[in-house]
Amino acid sequence: MAFQMGEETRQVQATWDVTTYNYKVDGRGIKLLADGMKDKKILGIRCHNCGTVYVPGPPFCRKCYIPIDEIAEVKDSGEVVSFAVEMADVRGNPLDEVRVSGMIKLDGSDTFINGRIQVDDWHDVHIGMRVKAVWVPEPQGNLSDIDHFEPI
Amino acid sequence: MERKVAVVGYAMTRQASDIGVPRPIMLFELVKGLFDQMGITRDDIDTFVLCSNDFQCGRTISNVFEDTPVGAYMKDETKVEADGVMAVMYGAIRIMSGLYDTALVVGNSLGGSEFRPYLIMDYQLHPAYDRQLGILNEPVTAALQAKAYMEKYKITEDHLNKIAARLLRNAAKNPFALRGKEDATPEYIASSEYLYEPLRELHCYPFTDGACAVVLASDKRAKALTDKPVWIKGFGDSIEGYFLGDRDLSWSRSAKVAADRAYRMAGISNPAKEIDVAEISIKFASQEPIICEALGLFPEGSGAEVADRGLAEIGGEMPVCPSGGGLGAYPFSAMGLIRVAECAKQINGEAGDIQVKDVKTAVAHGQDGFCAQHNAVMVLSSEEG
Repeated sequence: MAFQMGEETRQVQATWDVTTYNYKVDGRGIKLLADGMKDKKILGIRCHNCGTVYVPGPPFCRKCYIPIDEIAEVKDSGEVVSFAVEMADVRGNPLDEVRVSGMIKLDGSDTFINGRIQVDDWHDVHIGMRVKAVWVPEPQGNLSDIDHFEPI
Repeated sequence: MERKVAVVGYAMTRQASDIGVPRPIMLFELVKGLFDQMGITRDDIDTFVLCSNDFQCGRTISNVFEDTPVGAYMKDETKVEADGVMAVMYGAIRIMSGLYDTALVVGNSLGGSEFRPYLIMDYQLHPAYDRQLGILNEPVTAALQAKAYMEKYKITEDHLNKIAARLLRNAAKNPFALRGKEDATPEYIASSEYLYEPLRELHCYPFTDGACAVVLASDKRAKALTDKPVWIKGFGDSIEGYFLGDRDLSWSRSAKVAADRAYRMAGISNPAKEIDVAEISIKFASQEPIICEALGLFPEGSGAEVADRGLAEIGGEMPVCPSGGGLGAYPFSAMGLIRVAECAKQINGEAGDIQVKDVKTAVAHGQDGFCAQHNAVMVLSSEEG
């Protein structure tokens, strides 16, 4: 026999708020990046074998699969590789003001970081656009020390 | 392949935004129905492969709650957390090992009624980096990927609208799809709201409830179970690094590697000629040209031309997703399984209004992760060997 829709069904509300947890972060990667931001420096790791500069730097080269630890400073300016114009939040609620999220290739880096791009009109944003980091007035040494990026 | 494996049975639920029954009942009805239709019992299944996701099921180790509904009580059982094509691969490999002759592969999701998939995807983000930055979520990554392809190959939003309109028209003819529109036009797609420019609501997958089950068998058992076995000729799988910052999003390297592996195993040298229909897993209209090109179905950067000339239509040069694909329904975990089942339907001439003419060879594709980080490709055929 087929179950009839709804007849056998009850819904209960459940949540995933089980616990907080401690997530280990490699000291040479994300922490290096965050620490450097206190002095408005952007630090990644260069692979001594293939030369790839990663920001944030992993403890091993993802391509060569060898341990790497050579610190490389990159610029706080770069180029927009791609971008998304958010008209709604992740829950689908319309935003009062559109937000532009960019993928940015910082000068000296081979990988891209993500950051908010602030412009008066989002139509002006384009791939290949040059942008520069705008730092918070008093950097604390965490990832939010770059407030946003603006066109150069 | 030394030991051949065939799809010998398949069934899927109607995909819905709310299927209306709890997961165990959905799975029980689906699998029991398939067994009855095939004239077999759970005793005929040697190994069970479940495909589901802890977060999407609202409980960890999701398979331990799904094994009895699919008939796996006290049986040999295992789980794949990612996509259905990967689960079918795993089932096929278990049979190829010689340890088993039959496998049941079942995938399911209640992403329409129980949770919002975008929020579940947030939990895949790196806790100490991406979640701290607070920039990425699934549709943002999709828009970044879309822009990267569109800019590189000069395709416009109108082309995305054409892709989405075709898929919704196909989905309208597929009785199992959730969202279809018989007369969908590019203008109709363009009338939906922007969510994450360039993506509009109708460029994005609908949140879907659904499940699919596939029975696999060795060549030794296949013919006793069906007179229309669909042979798995080849498969391949590949995964990129997690960090989007490492990836050129204008193409899919891992989908290409996965396809190359599958084609080599299947002895296919010219996929565009040798494959009759493709069922791929896309979450956003903009992913279609990226995946099709990685699978060698169309030339690199041809998205605009394919859309303008209707080459992917059911009657076109290379029909892609006659079922409506991911814009018709996207039940996580079951998605790739449904692609495999749709390929089997096409090969067996059982696809009704969405039937492509004379299908001998079909390709199924599944993905998992942000911007299709992980890809799997499977070639299916009516020809044994």
